[in-house]
Amino acid sequence: MENRLKEEARKLLKEGKVDYIVGYGNGTVKFRTSPLITNKEEDIESLVINPFIANNLSRYPTEIKGKLGIVVKGCDSRSLVSLMQDNKVNRDDMVILGVPCEGVVDIKKLGEQIGADIDQAKEIDKEGDNLIVQMDGSKKTVPFRDVIFDKCFGCEYPTPLEYDILLGSEVSPRIEIEKSLKKIKEFEDTDAPERWRYWKEQFSKCIRCYACRNVCPACFCERCFVDVNIPQWITTYGSWQDNLVFQLIRTLHVAGRCSDCGECERSCPVGIPLRSLQRKMVEEVKGLFNHETGVDKDAFPVFTHYEATDPEEFIK
Amino acid sequence: MMVAVEKDKGDSLMEGDNVYIPHVMKIEKVIEETQNIKTFHFNFKDETQKAQFGFKSGQFAEYSVFGVGEATFCISSSPTRMDHLEFSVMRVGKVTQAIHELQEGDEIGFRGPYGNWFPLDSIQGKNLVFVGGGIGLAPLRSLIWNVLDNRDIYKDIVILYGARSPADLSFKYDLEAWDKDDRVNMYTTVDRGDESWTGRVGLIPPVLEEIGPSPENTVAITCGPPIMIKFTLQSLEKLGFTHDQIITTLEMRMKCGIGKCGRCNIGNIYVCKDGPVFTYAQIRSFLSAEF
Amino acid sequence: MGYKRIKKDQLNAFLRELSKDYAVVLPSRSGGQVVFGPWDGENTDFLDWYKNTVIPPKALFFPPVEEMFRFRKGEEGYEIEELMPDKGQQIIFGIRPCDARALKIIDMLFADTYRDPYYLRRRENSLLIGLGCNEPCDTCFCASLDISPGQSEDVDILCTDTGEDLLIEAISDKGGNLLSRMSGLSDAGSEEESKARELRKSAKERITREINLSGLQERMRSNFENRAYWEKVSKKCMACGICTYVCPTCHCFDINDENRKKEGKRVRNWDSCKFPLFTRMPMENPRHEKWRRMRQRYHHKFEYYPMNFGAIACTGCGRCIRECPVNVDVTEIIGGI
Repeated sequence: MENRLKEEARKLLKEGKVDYIVGYGNGTVKFRTSPLITNKEEDIESLVINPFIANNLSRYPTEIKGKLGIVVKGCDSRSLVSLMQDNKVNRDDMVILGVPCEGVVDIKKLGEQIGADIDQAKEIDKEGDNLIVQMDGSKKTVPFRDVIFDKCFGCEYPTPLEYDILLGSEVSPRIEIEKSLKKIKEFEDTDAPERWRYWKEQFSKCIRCYACRNVCPACFCERCFVDVNIPQWITTYGSWQDNLVFQLIRTLHVAGRCSDCGECERSCPVGIPLRSLQRKMVEEVKGLFNHETGVDKDAFPVFTHYEATDPEEFIK
Repeated sequence: MMVAVEKDKGDSLMEGDNVYIPHVMKIEKVIEETQNIKTFHFNFKDETQKAQFGFKSGQFAEYSVFGVGEATFCISSSPTRMDHLEFSVMRVGKVTQAIHELQEGDEIGFRGPYGNWFPLDSIQGKNLVFVGGGIGLAPLRSLIWNVLDNRDIYKDIVILYGARSPADLSFKYDLEAWDKDDRVNMYTTVDRGDESWTGRVGLIPPVLEEIGPSPENTVAITCGPPIMIKFTLQSLEKLGFTHDQIITTLEMRMKCGIGKCGRCNIGNIYVCKDGPVFTYAQIRSFLSAEF
Repeated sequence: MGYKRIKKDQLNAFLRELSKDYAVVLPSRSGGQVVFGPWDGENTDFLDWYKNTVIPPKALFFPPVEEMFRFRKGEEGYEIEELMPDKGQQIIFGIRPCDARALKIIDMLFADTYRDPYYLRRRENSLLIGLGCNEPCDTCFCASLDISPGQSEDVDILCTDTGEDLLIEAISDKGGNLLSRMSGLSDAGSEEESKARELRKSAKERITREINLSGLQERMRSNFENRAYWEKVSKKCMACGICTYVCPTCHCFDINDENRKKEGKRVRNWDSCKFPLFTRMPMENPRHEKWRRMRQRYHHKFEYYPMNFGAIACTGCGRCIRECPVNVDVTEIIGGI
């Protein structure tokens, strides 16, 4: 897949079909990848595709001017489609390079599995359904399914839904919805005071770095409501209540636009389980409006469109 | 000739003082200058505090409406007239809006003075040219009144003030007073006149060139919107002013006013602590013209 | 005074003795995070798992949100009540050498010209007991910044984990005085001392990441207006505030009011030069573009701060590299200049 990508990307740049390639390169931290955005052919050799390509690159087309050759996984492609529906990006300005995705490794989970800091691993290879982790003088085999992000379980669209070039063969969906929703279901089983305590604890940690918002392709407002001070909706600093309100409003704003890529949660430096909120909203939107983000290219954005059959139980 | 600009060393702060705690001050008078600019006369509630307080022309302070927030403005009155203090505010955002709603008798928070000041000592015995645009006259008028109250130790004084339109002229009472004062050569201009305007029409830089003050033993002090400053500096250069004969003030977003909060720097220069008053020569010696 | 030692299983008793006079703060787990938190009076197991916290210990002195004073509108007008940190003494146990250096670096700013009473009060009331790193992380590059992961001159007392024992060394007079009052410490033998030396040496050698600081000032100056460079390196940046908030030396803040009817509080809170609002003025914004903001951050740390205070505002703790969602790497950016 990686070679195919390099070949296609090189061709796209050479033929002038795109101004930039937006893909993944190796990061400077062990086993991490990093967005690689380039207009130089010599950088193409550094493109990678491996089980660590976590970033959702569809965050970039709204910001980078010019035609882009963009690498997307299944979930990322849905973000991109959603942006097209909102007229935030133009399909003709992109050559979409689709990566059929078997799941992305959650470095934290992997660390827990090998019982050591990921720093201590020398090499990690994927062999079949396992990851082989070379440690100092030892080798550990970890089932791949035990170290991928929660969002990857039950991913119904691992193969991009929108692409110009598919870089590998289609991947069949993992039907493990329950595992994907495990944390959320566990949470829903707790009572209201416990839930309140839990979110209070979580949102007390928030430092308002806005990484959750800034990495989110669906957060495309030119001026976020938290950055407006007339009127001032919430304080610019973090009481936990205001942090919670910020996140709840963000969740509502991206409802129907969230592809459950999980970048908000992965990016959060203080480990707030933000994806639970987003995932729950995905369920709600699907249940209420039968809408799944970025699945149907021709669908209207759910909250800018009205259908006579829309549920209206809330109007009483 | 060299005009030295002095630097604040924080001497005004007494040991144990909390620099972030404002004085509570009372608004004594509100003057509506233009449709979006107001001047406030304010005073200490406590006579002892008032007696201890001092500042120099060019210094600024942090003003606050309790519950809304703080904003930065220069002290626009003269240190030679300490009966009360003044500041002028253009309504542009949340805090300035709240300040505009204040009325006589209302209270504000005030902490300062901060920053450096116009070099009163080194401009003694010199001709002075003041060039102000819009609300940019606020810091200048502090110095102008300061100078006029000690008129004898300065030579010729030229004041050129301009605004977009007659309705945008601030401090009309000052303009009138200076116009009547035969110790001052006063020029007022507007970019665009109206039916009743009989005065000069023209942008500040060409009017300045027309007036043509001699750079000989002269210091020019200018303040106004960035675009006006840019062309005024060019005009002064044309008239033969050297870079250290020109003094201006810089404006950047500030919060703390005391060199800690990190936002008002141009290179390693912190406008709040190292400025806001700079000679043009100093500005040109900054690491870069960019931010 | 030479080196002292205690058995690691005696650390509990040691901390308990300290707790009589000090509030003891040490690495703990809270809400799934490793943070400096109040000691629970029991656990010392952090010695087994603690590497460093995500939120640096600067937060103990310069908290993310600080209530500076309260105001209330009474009959006679507004009354102000100063809210200063209490005068209780605290011990920060387990601070890493990089983070202790960071405090020394920002001390200069907070004590400069106008003294910052909140930060300085907490600094004066705190005693730092450092814990040398035996196993630095992949992201550490403190050695390039003249910091040895196992050693520190910036703490009051330094501990080295030698396996069975903690080797304890007084660094400041304050630390020496405290140690001389403590019971249960035995003198360390030359064997332990050489073991500690060995550990420090190997820790330093394990740091492979470097930041190229040679000719830094000239390099940065001549590259400042290289817009193409800054646009290139900032392209992937998400413009969030993580790097600034997890940085042990970033100290920028905002001041805001909180209001309920006739009373409220003035608070200062962390702010970040990575946000466009940071420098936004009504008519213009000198650092509107992302590349200008990134340039400002690195120039502040590596050029302006050294010019103004004589120290680079970076300690090589590596948090910004580790926590960045897109792996923007300061060593790469400075190295590329």
